[in-house]
Amino acid sequence: MNESESCIVDLTRTLLKDGPKFLSHTLVITKSNAYLRPTVGAMMFCVVYIVVGGFLSSLAAYLLVVSTQYDLSIFVGGFGIAIGAFGIMLIQPFLRRVSFNKTSGVFDNRKDRNVKLHHIVSLQINNKIIQRKNALSYACYELNLLTLHGRRINILNHNNEDQLENDAVLLSMFLGVELKDYRREIIL
Amino acid sequence: MGKIREIFFGFLLAFSTSAFAEEAGSFKQTIAAFSESVDGFFNDYTGWFVGLIFKSVPIGDVGFPIIVGWLLLAALIFTLYFGFVQFKRAGMAIDIVKGKYTDPNSKEDGEVSHFQALTTALSGTVGLGNIAGVGAALAIGGPGATFWMIVCGLLGMASKFCECTLGVKYRTVLPSGVISGGPMYYLSQGLAEKGLGGLGKVLAVGFALMCILGALGGGNMFQANQAHAMLTYAFDVPSEYGVITGLVLAALVFSVIVGGMPSIASVTEKIVPWMAGLYIGMAVIVIIANIDQVGAAFSAIFAGAFTGAGVAGGFIGALIQGLKRATFSNEAGVGSAAIAHSAVKTKEPITEGLVSLLEPFVDTVVICTMTALVITIAGLNVGPFDGSGLTGVTLTAASFTETAGVFKYLLALAVVMFAFSTMISWSYYGLKAWTYLFGEGKKIELAFKMMFCVFVVIGATIQFGAVIDFSDAAIFAMSIFNIIGLYFLMPIVKKELASFIARVKSGEIKTYEK
Repeated sequence: MNESESCIVDLTRTLLKDGPKFLSHTLVITKSNAYLRPTVGAMMFCVVYIVVGGFLSSLAAYLLVVSTQYDLSIFVGGFGIAIGAFGIMLIQPFLRRVSFNKTSGVFDNRKDRNVKLHHIVSLQINNKIIQRKNALSYACYELNLLTLHGRRINILNHNNEDQLENDAVLLSMFLGVELKDYRREIIL
Repeated sequence: MGKIREIFFGFLLAFSTSAFAEEAGSFKQTIAAFSESVDGFFNDYTGWFVGLIFKSVPIGDVGFPIIVGWLLLAALIFTLYFGFVQFKRAGMAIDIVKGKYTDPNSKEDGEVSHFQALTTALSGTVGLGNIAGVGAALAIGGPGATFWMIVCGLLGMASKFCECTLGVKYRTVLPSGVISGGPMYYLSQGLAEKGLGGLGKVLAVGFALMCILGALGGGNMFQANQAHAMLTYAFDVPSEYGVITGLVLAALVFSVIVGGMPSIASVTEKIVPWMAGLYIGMAVIVIIANIDQVGAAFSAIFAGAFTGAGVAGGFIGALIQGLKRATFSNEAGVGSAAIAHSAVKTKEPITEGLVSLLEPFVDTVVICTMTALVITIAGLNVGPFDGSGLTGVTLTAASFTETAGVFKYLLALAVVMFAFSTMISWSYYGLKAWTYLFGEGKKIELAFKMMFCVFVVIGATIQFGAVIDFSDAAIFAMSIFNIIGLYFLMPIVKKELASFIARVKSGEIKTYEK
């Protein structure tokens, strides 16, 4: 591999293709710890699926007991399990505690390999436009970190620009690293 | 001990079922009363509107709705004006989809592949219009309605080409950075360029109003209602339990349109093409299994088209039903497709117009014909064709079930998924029209979204009647405002087409062989 090529990291690029149209997390800073807290609104939308899935599964069980309509029970139950499982899958990222712990000295997002805090070089804010065929397109913002070894990891990804800016400033101060703004005008 | 437990459970079950039966009776009455009052409301307050939109002129002993003639005439004019673009440029449209005019090395972030674009476009065209709409057309118009659906599909390709090109050309970037397009924008901006700003504004506002009503009616209540009708047919679910179907669908629609969760939209986008594939697969199986009857089915379709045997109003009756349901299915000339296509990433509006003209072909000429063949082969749709027997989604489902019993379950799955995805699409169309009229803003948008969810429950709960008439009327009314504008703006589309073809011929637009 060409060494010079392997060192190029494009900080203007966003890391994730998609993003929610709401505020998903906020940053909470304690004395030696900074962590992301999911918002109630974000959790609510996942809970809708779990509730609907649970309701349909219960309805299927009820139908199985009071009637002999096995086909309807299977149909309703199948939908219920699928929707409920989907809700559980959706809520999982919100339940994951992403933290920057000064005591242990690591950044842990329960997904990627842990990063030592002193390996974090800078934070970047990027913007993107999410486009869908059957929904209004919207702006979305990312807060990403860059490590000493050139790894980029996403920290925040939502569409509340003010909150993200505020959290980014607080986190850069907490970590003592530079915050770079790579937002640009996007022409579609 | 075991015996005591058995008696106890038996008693409990008997008590609970009798109490349940009593409650169910009262629930049924409440729903029936609610249904009647909603239907009455629509009849009293919107009957004049329905009467106006579907105003008929007598042809022989049958009333021919002017709006149907309006759409047919427009499609015919666009076909002639653009020099049969749907036939002459179909090859070019397929080449665009295949990526012949796109540099394979210049793929931008977020850009979808042409295969993805094609599957998205195709899946978007298959819906309840192909399933329930064809069932309704054949129940009232006889097999001959299929022929007129095909004619309408072929001519409608030119209307869709024209409106989708304009949708991209006049799209607007709103202050929030959101791209918005559709008839509201090309009517106001396009006509303003021609010095007809006042007329353009009136047409745009009229279209937006009708689009909101169409979104709540055909794009919402009709979908929810037919989804529950399918469950009633497949599983004998009492029709009064539509409220449960409505609440479940409304909760899911709410989480998508209010929540804006990206993964949900992605899942819906991924599932729908599979459902379209499932539906087409089932139709192919039925046709192949009854291949010896296909010839006779086509004979019935062609004979019925010109004789209209058993149809009220003869061949005119068959023609009206064919044209009405084809328009409902492929939405050509209605203007809704221009809203969806305006969000595409392209520098050449004409390419999107050319790609979009394939949709009525696939939707109406191919898929609606397949549904019609399935219904005609099954032989359950017999004269007199007055809609008193099986109709809509139940006729289609019963016809599929004639070949294999399991099809009714697969169809139920497909219908529920199609209804859901169509509601999501139309919530988007309605929201675009809503924000055009009332401006952007979280509260304004939320008001529409909440109203949309309420209408899902209403649609699944009530019986059809005045409500579906109103839904139909609102969607057709969109075409009045849209087509007037298209007549003024079609020279712009013709110029764009000529320029594109000239640049392709001169080599300015490069081609990339795969």
